[in-house]
Amino acid sequence: MRLNPLTAKKLRRFRSIRRGYFSFLLLCGLSLISLLGELLVNSRAIVVRYEGKWYFPTYGDIIPGTTFGFDYSYETNYRDLRDRFRQEGGDNWLLMPPIAFNPYENTPYEGVFKPAPPSWLGGPAGHLLGTDTTGRDIFARLFYGFRVAIFFALAFTVLTYLVGITIGCLMGFFGGKVDLFGQRLIEIWSNIPFLYTVIIIFSVIPATFTVPVRIFILLVILVLFSWTGMTYYMRTATYREKARDYTAAAIVLGAGTGRIIFNHILPNTISTIVTFIPFTVAAAITSITALDFLGFGLPPPTPSLGELLKQGTQTLTTAPWIVSSAFAALVFILTLVTFVGEAVREAFDPKKFTTYE
Amino acid sequence: MRNFPLSPRSLAALLAGLYALVLAGCGGSSDETASSDFPPQDITPEMEQHFASFKHIPAELQRALNEGEITQEEYDARVAELPLFFQFKTPEDIPADLVWEDGMDLEEFADPNAKKGGTLYAAIQDFPRTTRLVGPDSNGSFRPFLQDDVVMQFARRHPNDTSIGPNGFHYYPGIAKEWAADKANKTVYIRIHPDARWSDGVPITSDDVMFTFFFYQSPHIKAPWYNNWYSTNYTQVTRYDEKTFSITLPEVRPDFLGRALEIEPKPAHFYRELGPDFPERYQWRIQPTSGAYTVRPEDIVKGRSITLTRVKDWWARDLKFWRGRYNPDRIRFTVVRDTAKAFEMFKKGELDQFGMNLAEYWYDKLPDTDPDVQAGYIHKNVFYNDIPRPTYGLWINRSRHLLDNRDIRIGINYATNWDLVIEKFARGDWTRMDTTADGFGEFTHPTLKARPFDIEKAREHFARAGFTTVGGDGVLTNAAGERLSFTITTGYEALKDIPAILREEALKCGLEFRIEVLDGTAAWKKAQEKKHDIMFSAFGVFPEMYPRYWETWHSANAYDKAFLPDGSPNPERKVKTQTNNLCILADPEIDRLIDAYDRSDDAEEMKKLAWRLEELIHADGCFVPGFVIPFYRNATWRWIRNPEGFNVKISDSWIQYFLFWIDEDMKKETREARRAGKTFPVGIHVYDQFKAN
Repeated sequence: MRLNPLTAKKLRRFRSIRRGYFSFLLLCGLSLISLLGELLVNSRAIVVRYEGKWYFPTYGDIIPGTTFGFDYSYETNYRDLRDRFRQEGGDNWLLMPPIAFNPYENTPYEGVFKPAPPSWLGGPAGHLLGTDTTGRDIFARLFYGFRVAIFFALAFTVLTYLVGITIGCLMGFFGGKVDLFGQRLIEIWSNIPFLYTVIIIFSVIPATFTVPVRIFILLVILVLFSWTGMTYYMRTATYREKARDYTAAAIVLGAGTGRIIFNHILPNTISTIVTFIPFTVAAAITSITALDFLGFGLPPPTPSLGELLKQGTQTLTTAPWIVSSAFAALVFILTLVTFVGEAVREAFDPKKFTTYE
Repeated sequence: MRNFPLSPRSLAALLAGLYALVLAGCGGSSDETASSDFPPQDITPEMEQHFASFKHIPAELQRALNEGEITQEEYDARVAELPLFFQFKTPEDIPADLVWEDGMDLEEFADPNAKKGGTLYAAIQDFPRTTRLVGPDSNGSFRPFLQDDVVMQFARRHPNDTSIGPNGFHYYPGIAKEWAADKANKTVYIRIHPDARWSDGVPITSDDVMFTFFFYQSPHIKAPWYNNWYSTNYTQVTRYDEKTFSITLPEVRPDFLGRALEIEPKPAHFYRELGPDFPERYQWRIQPTSGAYTVRPEDIVKGRSITLTRVKDWWARDLKFWRGRYNPDRIRFTVVRDTAKAFEMFKKGELDQFGMNLAEYWYDKLPDTDPDVQAGYIHKNVFYNDIPRPTYGLWINRSRHLLDNRDIRIGINYATNWDLVIEKFARGDWTRMDTTADGFGEFTHPTLKARPFDIEKAREHFARAGFTTVGGDGVLTNAAGERLSFTITTGYEALKDIPAILREEALKCGLEFRIEVLDGTAAWKKAQEKKHDIMFSAFGVFPEMYPRYWETWHSANAYDKAFLPDGSPNPERKVKTQTNNLCILADPEIDRLIDAYDRSDDAEEMKKLAWRLEELIHADGCFVPGFVIPFYRNATWRWIRNPEGFNVKISDSWIQYFLFWIDEDMKKETREARRAGKTFPVGIHVYDQFKAN
């Protein structure tokens, strides 16, 4: 792929800002790893060798306990199976993921569902960060909570920009009545209180919707209330670029509206917008966490950072590991995103152009 | 006495005991009103007009008119023949052969040696929105301290003698000196105690009783429930003299005595200004009370605190059943919105008691090993009680596709692991609920047990309903490819982990539960519109003598015209909304039993009918009984003393009967000991004489 030399230069500069660049790599790496989460953090074994046969339970259908000689027909408890194989000796073996818990299962601690401290602080084995108030593994919940949050944030960013850039650009390019009415509509729209809308909508959508659908609805609502901010930047940027000589030249040469917008105006305005991206991602993660904290976010029992934080604040003295894990994870992710954001901004900032290299 | 949905706020109150209470804003400053802001007003003419015209209309007559069986003229003629509701007679009209009783032979339950004095410091989560006792916003969490637990009634049900005698429960006297039941005439005669007076010194008289009925029937109070209750459940009130009156009821049910005796009279002189502006006019006024505590105007610090003060020379302070109670001079309720903060205040000694119903607080935040507990500074108390239990459980909507199949409902019963919830979530503190009417003493079915968690039986019933194939995710499907999947809706944010636990367990039976945790009001609205699959909810119940079935299980509350005249189900019937029949149960046999039950005046017969009803409901499987919280718990500082035994079986909170007292010497001693590092014996008290089995 041949890049525009200017873009190539910006990318080079981005790479040269080590902190941001490595944060970016780390974040990408974590996101990719989270996609393979089922192999790393799961209550299902990765591979089971039983009576000469191979089983790969991770993806696909449940394997009932009877398959492995248990007396129940619901899903096999692979941790029990592992212990049984160990006791029996023999050729049967299985490989569990490094964290052998899924984010939904309640494991009792001292006989009741209550927070268990991390394993290295004297808690039960296997729970690296302990368990939450109903005995669910915190690492598993953080891990899947991160996965949901980061992809939610990315989808949010893409959608917001798509809508924001399109509408902002149209207002700026066509100006006049389009701009006038567009601006008024946006003013009205942005005065609708967001939180109330979320509360109302979530109280009416039926629970028959599956969790992914409900997450998608939340995404749509968030986007609906967030695109307006982007239009202001796009509108002014488009106004400015449209008044430049090269746009006039393109018009004189007979270029169509589409060509002018996509080939001339967009590439020249986009650099301002790009610098906002990481901060939008950070804002999306923060808002989904905040909504979860308030109880209006992801439907239960979806693992989420906000829900863990909420639990943590209620158990500050009795189970400090909940709040510290959730808080540390949130700070870590947001710091990475912010480092990326800083680097992008510096790389795309024309004023600093001469000071680098 | 009304059957109400157990809202999340009552739930919170239940769980957190005295502390965690209502959601309500603080009283707005716009409500600041002095009585002088309102024009003078006198209700007397209107009251006399009402006395001269109001009649109790029998339900039967009203129904006949509504259904067109009689014409308006006939109706008017029949009404004209009815006697007036308010009757004025002379002492000669009192039948001579009445058997007067006064309940004085009952056992006293307070400690007569309790010390008077001191201030109890407690917390409330929200400031009451009004100090009116009826009308808009008056049914908040502070109401018990202004009314229910403090104000006197003519007589009250004895809190631990719950046997049923010839006249129903046993009552100890309050405002009444004595009473007599005349079953043949469905009338209860009551004589007011000669010393009885309001806190402003005005004697309590029969005129106050007449006024009370007028008051509750008046539209001015903006309380439709009271309007309806006091117009339909009583047929007459008769004044004989200054201190003697009688109340007549439309029917003699086993608890008819209680319906007459457990009325709280209202001071007529205080409500003289009753009128259309009643809610605003009386918003922050304090009614003179017959009870031990009142609120002084200067003690209402809006949004911050409200303090009860003991009535000086309370007329009943030395009477049997009332002495040794209501001991602190003052009870100060400070608004603390955050439970965790209130707990810290308690630990610092700024509050004297803290509700500990939540396992988290009892076991983790203030464990028995806590230094203050070990040093004997803080005492922990568990009080087992024996009262009708809120019906926590799963209410299955029978009108839904698949849930109309009995096998699926029974399967769901077997697939819900309540024992695990009780053992692992409630740490074994709760017990399993067995029927829809647990805690009603002899009216509760003696042997019926809820179905236990049983994977085999659940799968067997699901298989009978055609769900035999196991899908890739472990959920059963039928031949039509439908998944065995239902939504559990709940408005209980504090209990949202329970459906999550049930879900994990149900999956083992091939049943999927989706969980919908809504805001309390939204969840209740959904259930009232009958849009739920399965509702995890509870109805609150009052300590009544016998359970109510009509509201929750009669077909009249399930469908409009549930059955055709020949008794077969009406194919065009529509689900009836805004009723408490959450299971949409419509069964002619159950209807027949309920009708017989509601007509019966014989406790024995009613018991048999209630048991039969429970068996039929159990067989239908539309209600999955959940759990019972058989106690309330709290922690108090050492100087808060309770009587030996704490013998109040039907209490629902520690404060309800005001049996405790404050030992000021102990308070000083404890404070000094704490500074000096001196310790006392550990005080962990379990009052389990009313613990079931």
